[in-house]
Amino acid sequence: MGAVLITVSTDTQFVHLAWKRHEKSLENVQFLMGADPSGKVSRLFGVYVEDAGLALRGTFLINPEGRLLNSEVSFFNMGRNIDELMRKFKANLYLAKKPAEACPAQWKDEGDKTLTPGPSMVGKVHEALAK
Amino acid sequence: MTSPDLNPLQLGGQVPNFELSVYDPIKNDFGTISLAEIKSQGKWTILFFYPADFTFV
Repeated sequence: MGAVLITVSTDTQFVHLAWKRHEKSLENVQFLMGADPSGKVSRLFGVYVEDAGLALRGTFLINPEGRLLNSEVSFFNMGRNIDELMRKFKANLYLAKKPAEACPAQWKDEGDKTLTPGPSMVGKVHEALAK
Repeated sequence: MTSPDLNPLQLGGQVPNFELSVYDPIKNDFGTISLAEIKSQGKWTILFFYPADFTFV
């Protein structure tokens, strides 16, 4: 889809290999499994917890020009919704092609209604979404 | 637990190049990946941090 997905934890690449081989729910995994044992990349993104030596559950979207466009961080015990990640990625992909538009809260996929912000829309978002 | 410094990187800002050792399940081999490499392919990067392997989401 034009993106490289990399999962990252402070485990080494050897643990990733062992986990992939062992855990059935990872059977069809095709993404790169990143190893950050020194915590260097986790610290760069502000998700490294020093005392635990572990990374928080952070998701970051970077465009092909290297700009950080989205970040979401949760504490250890709350999982992230993958549908939401897909929605964010698709929205960002779409908006990269249509910079004058905006994806409203209900936007889920290409083809859904978008807004074209401008002076005529001020105070009239309800009407714009209903069209 | 000392709280991490949330997002020293600014949203909308340039991410400095970084490199990671990886396990590639498709090649079934180890390797490295860098942000520069992904950018040169014209692709987006999605980084998904999590605490530890062999644990539960």
